[in-house]
Amino acid sequence: MRRGVLVRLVAVGLAAAAVAFAVAFFVPWLPTSASKEGDRIDFVFWFVTVICIAIFALVVAVILYAVVRFRARPDDDSDGAPIHGHTGLEIAWTAVPAALVTAISVVSAVALAENDHLPKRHLRVNVTAQQFAWSFSYPKYKGLTVSQLRLPLNEAVELKMQSKDVIHSFWVPQFRQKQDVVPGITTRLVITPKRLGTFPVVCTELCGEGHALMRSEAIVMRPKAFAAWAKGQQQAAAKASQGVTGGGPGLAAFNTNGCSGCHTFKPAGSKATTGPDLDNLKVDAARAGKPLAAFVRESIADPNAYIEKGYQPGIMPTTFKSLPAQQLDALVQFLTAGKK
Amino acid sequence: MIGIQYVVTTIFFFLAAGLLAMLMRAELARPGMQFVGNQVFNELFSVHAALMIFLFIIPAFAGLGNFVIPLMIGAPDMAFPRLNALSFWLLPMAGLMMLSSFFVPGFGCGWTGYAPLCSTHQELGAVFFNMGVQWAGASSIMTALNFLVTIITMRAPGMTFWRMPLLVWANFTTSLLVVIATPFIAGSQFMTMFDHVMHTNFFNYEAHGYVLGYQHIFWFYSHPAVYIMMLPGFGIASEVISTFARKPIFGYRLMALSLMAILVLGFSVWAHHMFVSGMAPWLRVPMMVTSVVIAVPTGIKVFSWLATLWEGKLSFRTPMLFALGFVSMFVIGGLSGIYLAAVPIDIDVSDTYFVVAHIHYVLFGGSLFTIFAGIYYWFPKMTGRMYNEQLGKLHFWLTFIGFNATFFPMHYLGIQGMPRRVSDYAPRFADLNFFISIASFFLGASTLVFLYNMIVSWARGEPAPANPWRAMTIEWQVSSPPPVFNFDEVPQVVGGPYEYGVPGARHAVFGDRVAEEEEVRSR
Amino acid sequence: MSVEAGHAAHPPVAHQSSRVDARTLGMFLFIASEVMLFGSFFTAYFFVRVVNHQPWPPSPFHLPVFVAFVNTCILVTSSFTMHWALQSIKRGNRAGMQAGLTLTFLMGVTFLLTQLLEYARIGFTPHDQAFGTIFFCLTGLHGAHVFVGLTILAAMTTRAFRGHFSPEAHNGVEIGGIYWHFVDVMWIVVFTTVYIL
Ligand code: HEA
Ligand code: HEA
Ligand code: HEC
Ligand code: CUA
Ligand SMILES: [Cu+2]
Repeated sequence: MRRGVLVRLVAVGLAAAAVAFAVAFFVPWLPTSASKEGDRIDFVFWFVTVICIAIFALVVAVILYAVVRFRARPDDDSDGAPIHGHTGLEIAWTAVPAALVTAISVVSAVALAENDHLPKRHLRVNVTAQQFAWSFSYPKYKGLTVSQLRLPLNEAVELKMQSKDVIHSFWVPQFRQKQDVVPGITTRLVITPKRLGTFPVVCTELCGEGHALMRSEAIVMRPKAFAAWAKGQQQAAAKASQGVTGGGPGLAAFNTNGCSGCHTFKPAGSKATTGPDLDNLKVDAARAGKPLAAFVRESIADPNAYIEKGYQPGIMPTTFKSLPAQQLDALVQFLTAGKK
Repeated sequence: MIGIQYVVTTIFFFLAAGLLAMLMRAELARPGMQFVGNQVFNELFSVHAALMIFLFIIPAFAGLGNFVIPLMIGAPDMAFPRLNALSFWLLPMAGLMMLSSFFVPGFGCGWTGYAPLCSTHQELGAVFFNMGVQWAGASSIMTALNFLVTIITMRAPGMTFWRMPLLVWANFTTSLLVVIATPFIAGSQFMTMFDHVMHTNFFNYEAHGYVLGYQHIFWFYSHPAVYIMMLPGFGIASEVISTFARKPIFGYRLMALSLMAILVLGFSVWAHHMFVSGMAPWLRVPMMVTSVVIAVPTGIKVFSWLATLWEGKLSFRTPMLFALGFVSMFVIGGLSGIYLAAVPIDIDVSDTYFVVAHIHYVLFGGSLFTIFAGIYYWFPKMTGRMYNEQLGKLHFWLTFIGFNATFFPMHYLGIQGMPRRVSDYAPRFADLNFFISIASFFLGASTLVFLYNMIVSWARGEPAPANPWRAMTIEWQVSSPPPVFNFDEVPQVVGGPYEYGVPGARHAVFGDRVAEEEEVRSR
Repeated sequence: MSVEAGHAAHPPVAHQSSRVDARTLGMFLFIASEVMLFGSFFTAYFFVRVVNHQPWPPSPFHLPVFVAFVNTCILVTSSFTMHWALQSIKRGNRAGMQAGLTLTFLMGVTFLLTQLLEYARIGFTPHDQAFGTIFFCLTGLHGAHVFVGLTILAAMTTRAFRGHFSPEAHNGVEIGGIYWHFVDVMWIVVFTTVYIL
């Protein structure tokens, strides 16, 4: 290849690479990472990006150069040079990509191994997924089950995940970590939060009608605040299930079955908006033309019998009809209390 | 000709699937629910993808091959004409099944049809999907078998394997893939169907069934399937680029060998769709390595196309524009495939719009661009008429711009946290989604130009000469359209298929000229 | 060669670029894809039994290994009679071919009937855990293939008695035979994995 050609080709390539780099670095592609695992993933991401930009720039440069330089004149019917190949070149473009992908594999494998590593000192959280709600329980604080994930800062967490029906997938974009939740097996995920804040928990595996609504939140707290919260909740739950205060066993059932993942209900302190606000049950029951208790019971056991205006059928799970009778009673009592 | 019937039928399904995509984009234009319910939305993208994959891309390549392959190798027809007709007629059946799953109702589990959602939590429509896949699968197995037998036993004298055009090579490898892999998706669909209808326990974990088994079996077909949807496109690109660059394909043998390499490697990467599925963790790194290694043979192809352009005499007719568009867009799609294959990155972006962007860059920017290139390229041969070049170019530019505007921003959405397969999303994604939807309507409208051009040119286009592109492969050495049985006499192949610029070189000669030619050669 | 006006009414004779007969090659490719279909079900078997540790058979069920073994012997023998039929017609022995085909057909029928009888008495159903599902689907898939094989055999036998086939033209017997041998070999695999291992 003549020198002039090479120089011009490189110039076009650099221009293309510059544009690609600009797109890569001035667009805020990645949301700010909020976990140690996320930082490693980001590193792999940028590593791959640099390689890909180089390759893309090369390809674009050759195409652009050829389009401009080798365009046939309208009256030119002749053929191009009868070049059939060039062994040296062919070896080069086999070997170089091979080396590059090897580098990508090594970097990825290392990051993966580090991300899977679980330090001895860690918090364990059991995650249960069902159509279409998450619930999280903390074996360390027995009896504590909530529908929003709360985590202490800078402590490794191991999520042990199980599903009650179909496949779901747990993802927090800021943590970068994702794992399917599969019925019949227990899957695991390691996260070490490193930033305070509230982040979305997203179900990313199509799990039926309500898949788009299967959302929750992950809240990273200072360790002290976390411990205080957990103890407080634990005691409240214990008292509740012994019927000492407030909602009684109904509150416990409300939390463990994931109701609080979808409904706003002041006595339970939940603020989710997937389903109707249960503080207004009285009005809703009147509108449906049914006695309150009967309406609530029906709404739990057979949600599709009456669909609240503005909401869709098929979102609230139909599995609650198989709840033990006393839990159902407790729920109805809890939801109707003080509304007569 | 069955080949033409194929192409026309599959374009019908492309339009249907595209319209479903338009409905989807209308719903997604704004957050919250607009036009359709959640379940209907799920059905929209499921049927969109199922039609695009099983009733458009795969059979469209089969149709083009059906027309071109016998011509290219100098055979009067496919080896088993009646089997060929049968495989064609299975397609409308399959399409009807897929479309009717809207009315039955209830196939809303994605084209991947994962168990147990699809096997036990869906209504009858899921079974229609299962059966639609079976029909389409049976059709493509029979076609592939036909291709293989045709290519092996019916090549013209002198047509050695190393003299076959690369499209023939591509169809040969693709057909091998189909024959070996497709039965696996048939199996997986039988199993979900049995679970659904007869309440068997393949994927019922409560009775010792193994849920992830479905994914393994499904992807053991469906990863090779993505090469089934790409290798013929590689073949078409090779034909078009060589013809319009007026140069021999650079590194012809390595091009053919890399097809074979992709074929073999393609069987060893299925679990890269399952990095976050909960399968055995040790399987991830090996699958990552095999996945990224596919970049090597694919890169060989890309670089060889580029080298073919070098010092050529490029003329930018519509097929060439689509072929060049294909090379650049497919590289973007392939590179995003590399991101996905790197396990840590995939753990982050799996099942998000990043994957949706990848899908469309490889399938639209890859497969569909080459199908367009192929249709324009062989349009004169198929119909005996020329298409309108201006409209063709207009179609390319509108598509190229609309395509990038629609799908490139999806990378960003995915990385930022928008999952795929949702009808509703966080308000902060609203602006970008609105932009994407507008761009996609623009993209959809560009298809109208294509349709208009095809229909009007077929009816009233200028009559096409036998060889409008001055190409060397055999199909251009017969009249346009070809005689009833392709040839009045079987040609004699005397050289490679792309000997542009080699003085006096011929690929094939007919009849009396054979003797002359041989005389010339012996002198 | 003459260049006549207008186009030919018959296809030009295709050049035969391989010594393999087209239909035989087609049959082999078809069998390759059939093998993979079985492969998908064996994969399901693998996941349920090996990965998921399903006991095989789970108590209280039993597999009728002895009957299945006898059945295996019948099917294997039928492969030999099939071979005999083909060899006979190659040597021009028409009676031998007819006898061979008839015997093969009868043994195939016996196999299928025994299998069906076994299904009725086996004591579990496809609903009994993944075990039952896999058992019935693997053996059933094979049974379906036996049925197809028998249909082909019936057609071949009828043709044989009508005076078709000759030492020069015995392709029909050969191709049908290949399929039958495949059905046979497949059974040995199914039998080994499902009943014995
Ligand atoms: C035509 C179809 C097609 C093609 C060709 C490809 C090609 C590739 N795909 Fe893609 N893929 C799909 C269609 C396709 N894919 C679809 C439909 C899905 C989604 C399925 C679903 O879930 O619905 C998917 C999903 C998918 C996933 C799973 C994502 C997830 O769900 O989490 C992965 C992960 O590894 C992946 C990887 C790859 C790779 C590595 C390639 C490689 O073959 C790409 C190789 C090409 C290049 C790399 C570019 C050219 C090379 C060079 C210029 C050389 C130099 C390059 C380097 C050194 C890097 N693909
Ligand atoms: C070859 C394959 C192919 C092709 C060509 C397309 C083409 C298009 N696809 Fe598709 N798509 C897939 C394969 C394909 N897709 C797959 C495999 C999935 C994954 C599904 C899953 O998750 O299971 C998917 C998923 C998918 C999604 C994600 C759904 C989700 O996860 O929620 C979206 C969203 O925007 C989308 C959009 C589009 C659009 C706008 C087009 C456009 O390019 C379509 C353009 C064509 C037309 C519009 C039709 C023709 C035009 C007319 C008839 C003219 C009249 C119309 C107007 C003027 C509007 N597709
Ligand atoms: C996945 C989300 C989800 C979960 C989990 C869920 N619900 Fe609902 N719920 C809904 C939706 C959506 C509606 C509105 C549609 C309807 O009326 O069925 C609803 C409706 C109701 C209603 C009727 C309210 C009205 O105003 O009409 C009651 C009562 C109710 N839910 C109670 C519960 C209880 C108790 C639980 C837990 C055991 C629960 N829900 C769990 C989503 C959910
Ligand atoms: Cu749960 Cu999607
Ligand atoms: Cu893949």
